[in-house]
Amino acid sequence: MRNFRRISQIVFLLLFLWLLIQTEYHGKDIISYPVKVFLDFDPLILFSSLLAAHGIPPAFPLAMFWGLVLVGMTLLLGRFFCGWVCPLGTIHHFIGWLKKRKLPLKKKMERGKYRPSQRWKYLILIGLLVASVFTVQVVGLLDPLSLFIRSLALSINPAINYLTRAVFNFLYFTDIRMITTVSEPVYSFLKAHYLSFKQPFFQQSVFLGLIFLLIVGLNFYRHRYWCRHLCPLGALLGVLSRYTPLRLEVSKECTQCMVCVAACEGGAEPHSTDSWRSTECVLCWNCVKSCPKGAISFALPARRKKGAPYVDVGRRRLITSAVAGLAAVPLLRVGREYKGFNPQLIRPPGALAEEEFLRRCVRCGECMKVCLTNAIQPTLLQAGLEGLWTPMLMMKMGYCEYYCTLCGQVCPTGAIQKLPLEEKQKVHIGTAFIDKSRCIPYTLATNCIVCEEHCPTPKKAIWFEEIEVVNHEGERVVVKQPRVDPQLCIGCGVCEYKCPVVDKPAIYVTSIGESRSPDNQLII
Amino acid sequence: MEHSSDRRQFLKLLMGLGAGFTFTGRLPLYNQTPVTPDLAVAEGTSPAPTTRAALETMGGMARYISRGDIVLLKPNMSWDRVPEQAANTNPEVMRTLVELCYQAGAKKVKVFDNSINDARRCYVRSGIMEAVKEAGADVYYVDERKFRTTNLGGEVLKQWSVYTEALEVDKVVNVPIAKHHNLCRLTIGLKNWIGLLGGNRGKLHQRIHQCIADLAGFFKPNLVVLDAVRILLRNGPQGGSLNDVKVLNMIAVGTDQVAIDSFAASLFGLQGSEVGYIKLAHERGLGSMELSGLEIKRVRL
Repeated sequence: MRNFRRISQIVFLLLFLWLLIQTEYHGKDIISYPVKVFLDFDPLILFSSLLAAHGIPPAFPLAMFWGLVLVGMTLLLGRFFCGWVCPLGTIHHFIGWLKKRKLPLKKKMERGKYRPSQRWKYLILIGLLVASVFTVQVVGLLDPLSLFIRSLALSINPAINYLTRAVFNFLYFTDIRMITTVSEPVYSFLKAHYLSFKQPFFQQSVFLGLIFLLIVGLNFYRHRYWCRHLCPLGALLGVLSRYTPLRLEVSKECTQCMVCVAACEGGAEPHSTDSWRSTECVLCWNCVKSCPKGAISFALPARRKKGAPYVDVGRRRLITSAVAGLAAVPLLRVGREYKGFNPQLIRPPGALAEEEFLRRCVRCGECMKVCLTNAIQPTLLQAGLEGLWTPMLMMKMGYCEYYCTLCGQVCPTGAIQKLPLEEKQKVHIGTAFIDKSRCIPYTLATNCIVCEEHCPTPKKAIWFEEIEVVNHEGERVVVKQPRVDPQLCIGCGVCEYKCPVVDKPAIYVTSIGESRSPDNQLII
Repeated sequence: MEHSSDRRQFLKLLMGLGAGFTFTGRLPLYNQTPVTPDLAVAEGTSPAPTTRAALETMGGMARYISRGDIVLLKPNMSWDRVPEQAANTNPEVMRTLVELCYQAGAKKVKVFDNSINDARRCYVRSGIMEAVKEAGADVYYVDERKFRTTNLGGEVLKQWSVYTEALEVDKVVNVPIAKHHNLCRLTIGLKNWIGLLGGNRGKLHQRIHQCIADLAGFFKPNLVVLDAVRILLRNGPQGGSLNDVKVLNMIAVGTDQVAIDSFAASLFGLQGSEVGYIKLAHERGLGSMELSGLEIKRVRL
């Protein structure tokens, strides 16, 4: 069974990584693979979304209810997801093993044993869910799948991309035939199958990457630190595992050598039938395999013993946690940057109205990964602390491609609605404005028209006023001065992205006019 | 005496040529149109036969492409638009040209363009990638590393970043589509060279006519095939609305890139001299915009 578990972990990790690589445009308007399937099966996201919406929110993707399958399986089997499926768990497992394998048995036992601090994750879960009930949905910050996708997509993957390109560019520019005849085909292969089409850049790559490395690094401190102490999904699955019929049994052969404890992934105290904690066990099968007497097994006992240990978080801690979750609501809400509308906060096309959007978005970063032009970036404080790492478009990084609907396709929760192309093309995400003090025809008295040329709407939102002006040589010339028609402008930002005034574009998009808000409007 | 010697030489030459063609299996010269026109214009109902007819009228592709040549077919593939919107070169024209190049003995036909919208979308949605791939061309996205600052020797464009691969091929066939352009009035063949440039191309717009004339002095196509299957009358260069598209089902072929642009201008009811860069290129002696002085051979399918 342990080998099956290992194969399962590897297969699911590879599937997860492969799907992440496929989260990119590959010549088809519709993403060919179910790239968000891991998130679909995540019951933590499902429950917190339902709690935050106080019911099933409108246009909620049905695929989210796959999470119930995992709930059902967990009720029967326990936290098999953590030990067999979770790709982040597999990473922790592997890194933990790197540290553990060289340790003496005594140290291993120390690392394997249960610690009261493992209750933290339940407190985190409670805090997050209570906050959800009061409509602050920040579960995505700590949900392991969201966290892993976000870290890989916005930090690790761009970094690997950068490194790979740097190495192959170096080899290419050596211009030594012997080297390039080998390196270039390899590079082409990588470009076709792994590398992003263009080097991705994200504003908080370093920050997000460091958080991820810290979480992974904690395994050197304690085995599967994240899974045991912090993971809210693990906690939810743990709660569901409380009464699982599949139980660990230790036979009389046991000599209390405690080798099983040293091998335990979850800190589940597998050394006796009575001590075993179903809420912590990830069914890794290490204990069964490691027992020199073969005394440990998993079975379906007819009658479950009463008083099996579970994590007692403690009434006071529970209340504290719930109160903390509640207190987070007003604290996050009053600490906002803008009273009205943030001009920079341009949400992807199809994004729900801001309040609803924040209740849905799980900050997984799928939309940022898939964005054709790298325009979608994680927010820092633009949407308040409550909206940390939610998506916004930065037109200096990219723009919204007129014929693209990818972000809506990969959003797991429908925070960005999956719109048919014709509808998406009608969505206004903002409005463009011209900075006459920088725009070339206004300042240099010479034609430019780049913004108008790129404007993608069939009836262009940028039009020209032909004005006679005096240029610097004193000649009277007629120039085409661009103007924006806010009724036609969809705020895609290609004008800002392509503006030849490259440092601070002379045309720029702000969020006003966005279809999703009835109030952030310019025109009556 | 002189006469007979000439005749003897002529006969020898004929025999030699005949033997040569027999052994190499190439088309005998005397099967080709002896004198090619300056411009061949074909009109038909579908792009492929029209393209073939236009090429045939210009003396056949073998006249311009030699055995073993590496050929660049440079389309306009700038926009995330479908063929019906007439923003990119027609894919069937491209496909036919790839086939003709290979029939003429080309070793390799390359197709690329430094597109304006996302390259992946432009290549796919223009239909060009699929069409030329099927015909056996090498079609790929531009590689950032292969742009080099190059001396263009122009009046405005002294130096600019140019895609080196475009300079390393044996033959270049420019395959522009004729479109309205809000700044230049029209974009046809001369402006199509911008697709081989890198850098901040928007900057060129400030002195666009001089820049394009400079490019016309630098890039010398071996052949220009004008795609006027559909032309874009308004809202160019990317259009979008089918109302702006006019179907002409026409292909024009020539070697004088200024003449081709001037001819294309006539399709919009303009004179070559009314388009700034065409006039400039003409004045610089890069070609002739005077259509009246050219032999234009028209065929209708």
